[in-house]
Amino acid sequence: MYKWIHQFGSPKYFYNISLVLSKWIAFVCIACFIAGLYGGLVLAPADYQQGDSYRIIYIHVPASWMSLFVYLVLATSGAITLIWRIKIADFVARASAPIGASFTFLALTTGAIWGKPMWGTYWVWDARLTSELILLFLYLGYIALQSSFNDKRIAARAGAILALIGVINIPIIHYSVEWWSTLHQGPTISKLDTPSIHYSMLIPLLLMLAAYKTFYIYVALMGVRNEIIESEYNTAWVKKLLDN
Amino acid sequence: MPQFNINNLECVRHNNILFSDLTFTMKDGDLLQIDGTNGSGKSSLLQICSGLIRPSKGTIEWNNEDIYEYHNSFHKDTLYLGHKNAIKSSLTIKENIQFISALGGVIENQDYTEILNTVGLSDTEELYAGNLSAGQQRRLSLSRLLMTRSKLWLLDEPFNALDKHGKRMVENIIINHCNIGGIVIFTTHQEMEFNQYPLKSIHLGNNNV
Amino acid sequence: MSESINIFFVMLKRDLILAMRDKTDFINSLIFFIIIIVLFPLTFGSDAKLINELIPGVIWISALLATCLSLESIFRSDFEDGTIEQITLSRYPLTLIVSAKIIAHWLTFGIPLIIISILMGLIFSLPVDVILALFITLLLGTPTLSLFGSVMVVLTIGLRGSMLLSLLILPLSMPVLIFSILAVNNASINQSIIAETYFLGGILLLAISLAPIAASAALRIRLS
Repeated sequence: MYKWIHQFGSPKYFYNISLVLSKWIAFVCIACFIAGLYGGLVLAPADYQQGDSYRIIYIHVPASWMSLFVYLVLATSGAITLIWRIKIADFVARASAPIGASFTFLALTTGAIWGKPMWGTYWVWDARLTSELILLFLYLGYIALQSSFNDKRIAARAGAILALIGVINIPIIHYSVEWWSTLHQGPTISKLDTPSIHYSMLIPLLLMLAAYKTFYIYVALMGVRNEIIESEYNTAWVKKLLDN
Repeated sequence: MPQFNINNLECVRHNNILFSDLTFTMKDGDLLQIDGTNGSGKSSLLQICSGLIRPSKGTIEWNNEDIYEYHNSFHKDTLYLGHKNAIKSSLTIKENIQFISALGGVIENQDYTEILNTVGLSDTEELYAGNLSAGQQRRLSLSRLLMTRSKLWLLDEPFNALDKHGKRMVENIIINHCNIGGIVIFTTHQEMEFNQYPLKSIHLGNNNV
Repeated sequence: MSESINIFFVMLKRDLILAMRDKTDFINSLIFFIIIIVLFPLTFGSDAKLINELIPGVIWISALLATCLSLESIFRSDFEDGTIEQITLSRYPLTLIVSAKIIAHWLTFGIPLIIISILMGLIFSLPVDVILALFITLLLGTPTLSLFGSVMVVLTIGLRGSMLLSLLILPLSMPVLIFSILAVNNASINQSIIAETYFLGGILLLAISLAPIAASAALRIRLS
């Protein structure tokens, strides 16, 4: 088990494995995007209350799920950096932050676009939107903090502390619709219950989620490979790689 | 029995390898001088020994325990003196000494006149530390050597800013400590001679030792 | 054990003496606090009702900004003169020493802030309920800001760009701000503020348990 972790943590091994994986991931991502968009925009029936304008849900909801997911990756990588000091964790965190920030921004803006025709307002200070906005600031602060340090190892560890403190925000975002009565609807998809949303709408939603997730992994791996090359610049295998 | 073991230490700062494969051992009563030109890694080596910085490769053991795993007991036994004096200008000399002694784990409410006399700052208890000269501030900082229970001393350029008397004072303090079984590692970029005591030496430069 | 408690009080006393001897840091922030509050009504004209509605919020926001300003002083001089290395390498728990510093900061800055806020409330003739809500929320909120803020200060000390500290403190202080304003608004319409008080208390307890540990870890990281 430890041997596997050690191997995985070796930059050279990770680099080569991720190159192979990335091809497959890109394929799955494109397939899911096409299937999800077709299913959501064409096949799924119009909502009886909101008509066709509800379809922005297929962009908005996966984006907000991913904004939370990527932050958890950030926090977990941070914990790994602090406890075991594995370099790959540093790179994963550094590469994931901008992607997570973009997802959060996408969620906020698509939410605003959805909100205007539905509820007459672009923004309201309810619990979920406010905490999602806080999440965006956390991401931006994280990115700003990381770029302020010259030494990337210190940057990674300082960022880890910030990410771990901000983790408190994640349950607040997730459970805010249960704890307070807000503009947002209650949770429609939970692990243990049958979902309260119809299957023809659910399947494209899950497909879009898979598409977003594979997209994130693909882009993050690209970023990690960049970081690996930058940090292992002086080693023989990188020099050979760059010569080719 | 070996007390302080350094094994295969490598230090990388700003993408430069300062030294690598550095190994040495210190026992009770050993005195080690680390010298080298500016930028050769003397301070970094000392900071690694104290546990502030981690080396890129290598291990450090105190009493056969890794200092990062058992850092509490290691810190109890270690005294570090850096370039900076760690004294407060807005506090009086007496208040500074009280704080230093509390941090060093030495009982408070001692009579500090003896300590002040030893470091050459007699009758200055009520002066503000900010009004002292650089050399006097260094002497104040060195008072921590007299108010500590630690066995391993890591001193970064302790002789800086001192005049001849000051240098001799520090020499005597260090030698006294080694005579009772303490271990002292210090850095210097000057030529030092310790007449009365056997001195080990490490020179950091282009290729280590 | 008693030695560790002793170092806590030694550190606390030292920081209090230092703050008293060199008052500029926290007096600057308190003056900044007062100036913002005093300037705001100039923009409302003499609409007394509007002022009454907005002043509690203004007081809270000014408190947040003034705290940001004053936080840097906790660790800056210790970083500059090398005391931080001595503290980190000492035989005593770093979290204890860091806690002492944070408490000293709150005592020298937070308490005058609360007192001035009450005075401001009286000057603006706010209803007693609102002043009480202001007092309670500030009492629970300013230590939280000091605690979380000090972690951010350690992370950003010496980095170029002073706005980074404010950017980092912002997400953590928003919940405190939100609940405090909710409480003050509830007080102004004679509703109970007990729920918000519980929330603020909970956040404070969270900060007390997490912040010293995080600040110590951040100190070790910054020193390496």
